[in-house]
Amino acid sequence: MGFETGDIVVGLMVAALGLLGLFLAAGAWDGEMYLFGLVLAGFAVVFDFGLLRRHYDRVDAARGGADHG
Amino acid sequence: MAEAALAHHRVDYNDDVVKKFIIASVFWAIAAFLVGVYIASELAWPRLNVAPYLNFGRLRPVHTSAAIFAFGGSALIGTSFHVVQRTCRARLWGGDALANFVFWGYQMFIVLAATSYLMGFSKSREYAEPEWHLDLLLVLVWVCYLLIYMGTLMKRVEPHIYVANWFYLSFIITIAMLVLVNNFGIPISPYSAKSYSWFSGVQDALVQWWYGHNAVGFFLTAGFLGMMYYFIPKAANRPIYSYRLSIVHFWALIFIYIWAGPHHLLWTALPDWTQTLGEAFSIMLWMPSWGGMINGLMTLSGAWDKLRTDPGLRFSVTAVGFYGMSTFEGPAMSIRDVNALVHYSDWVIGHVHSGALGWVAYITFGAMYYLVPNLWGRQGLYSVRLAAWHYWLSTLGIVFYISSMWVAGLMEGLMWRAYDHFGFLKYAFVQVVVAEHPFMVIRMLGGVMFLLGALMMVYNFWMTVHSETTEAPRADMIPAGALAAAGE
Repeated sequence: MGFETGDIVVGLMVAALGLLGLFLAAGAWDGEMYLFGLVLAGFAVVFDFGLLRRHYDRVDAARGGADHG
Repeated sequence: MAEAALAHHRVDYNDDVVKKFIIASVFWAIAAFLVGVYIASELAWPRLNVAPYLNFGRLRPVHTSAAIFAFGGSALIGTSFHVVQRTCRARLWGGDALANFVFWGYQMFIVLAATSYLMGFSKSREYAEPEWHLDLLLVLVWVCYLLIYMGTLMKRVEPHIYVANWFYLSFIITIAMLVLVNNFGIPISPYSAKSYSWFSGVQDALVQWWYGHNAVGFFLTAGFLGMMYYFIPKAANRPIYSYRLSIVHFWALIFIYIWAGPHHLLWTALPDWTQTLGEAFSIMLWMPSWGGMINGLMTLSGAWDKLRTDPGLRFSVTAVGFYGMSTFEGPAMSIRDVNALVHYSDWVIGHVHSGALGWVAYITFGAMYYLVPNLWGRQGLYSVRLAAWHYWLSTLGIVFYISSMWVAGLMEGLMWRAYDHFGFLKYAFVQVVVAEHPFMVIRMLGGVMFLLGALMMVYNFWMTVHSETTEAPRADMIPAGALAAAGE
């Protein structure tokens, strides 16, 4: 079972957001931008891991269905 | 032949994202009402202003953003995803990942906006307080939302685009345009959260209120009319009273609303003709607004008895009543002579809350009472009686709120313009503030009632989802005769 196109596009977009967040946090002039950058990076990590988890959940479900079929 | 094919066209809808938005909306409702009660208490007892994080200036945008964008916005996006799938017989376009990004991205925007207000960051623009970096995040999420919505409409199986979708789509597109123009600004650095508006002076004020009034028109009106046009016919099990009226008032509403913003700037440095333009279009708005109200109410023709047994529908119908009332009050307030008395007074706060509580919150509660048992596959609500208690308690709360603000507003306006026989102002500003105290307390009590009602709704929803009494019977548990009866 391959990756869905939507997952890849959204995953890459969120990864780019996370990277941008790290740059913003690194150069931040104020606490607000520092927090924003870190939250963006953290969000990207959690969201993309969620995409991976759901992908392998689907793979496991398909494999389980095939085993029992 | 085609109808038979449609009837057998089964679609696996994406209900997960709808459920998430409903849960988020309920959560933010409680947060918004709680902060509202606290800041209402601050106005009654100023010692509750605990600097810097809990003072009124920082908490007020937390309340308005939580109510409008978090509670209302989550409800709008969630119900629009539900409605567009059902009326198009198509699963959401773009896959689950994109829908999840819209959900989590929107929630992240809300949390970051609230945090930034508490930290003291604000553009100081009404209903558009988030700084530039948060606006850009919102734009990204919103574009994804628009893509999902448009994509689902384009791959629809139903030939017709149901009118609720027109209202939702106008809300999505116009809010995108408003946010882009109103928030056009220059950050002092890409690494700083501080920015300055591209506009200045009276032009800045006009752009801000062009946005501000259309946030009311397209976020708080058009979007929720979309909700009304789907959930009232569903709950009443009746078609819309007049489909033609729905189309006519849709186009009239979106054409006229966009011009009404200048009525927020009557008696200011704005050119006189612009003020008159805003005033004239505001009065014209009465007709399309009442077109929607009449259509919503008349849909109940032949089904009024359901109001006795369905508290969700009671919320929806009362919401339409409040919509009619506040859309009559708004044009009246934009008449220059009325505005001279009520502007800057608490009447405006009463007007806003008759719309926000009576219309926006009630139409949402009505949709939620319909959606929660359906989405979670339950037989019905855990307690209809508790929902009825919610209705009566919160209605009493709204009456406390808006009547106290009307009286306080009239009193303020009259005291501010009172002169003695020497031509001096009769009252100092602080005397007006002192005179208002009892009304501030009554308003806070109204808010407490509304909050308590919402907490009852949360308990009712929790029990609806988790209680054994609301479980839908399994197919293998239904007696054979019952299946035949159900199929009749």
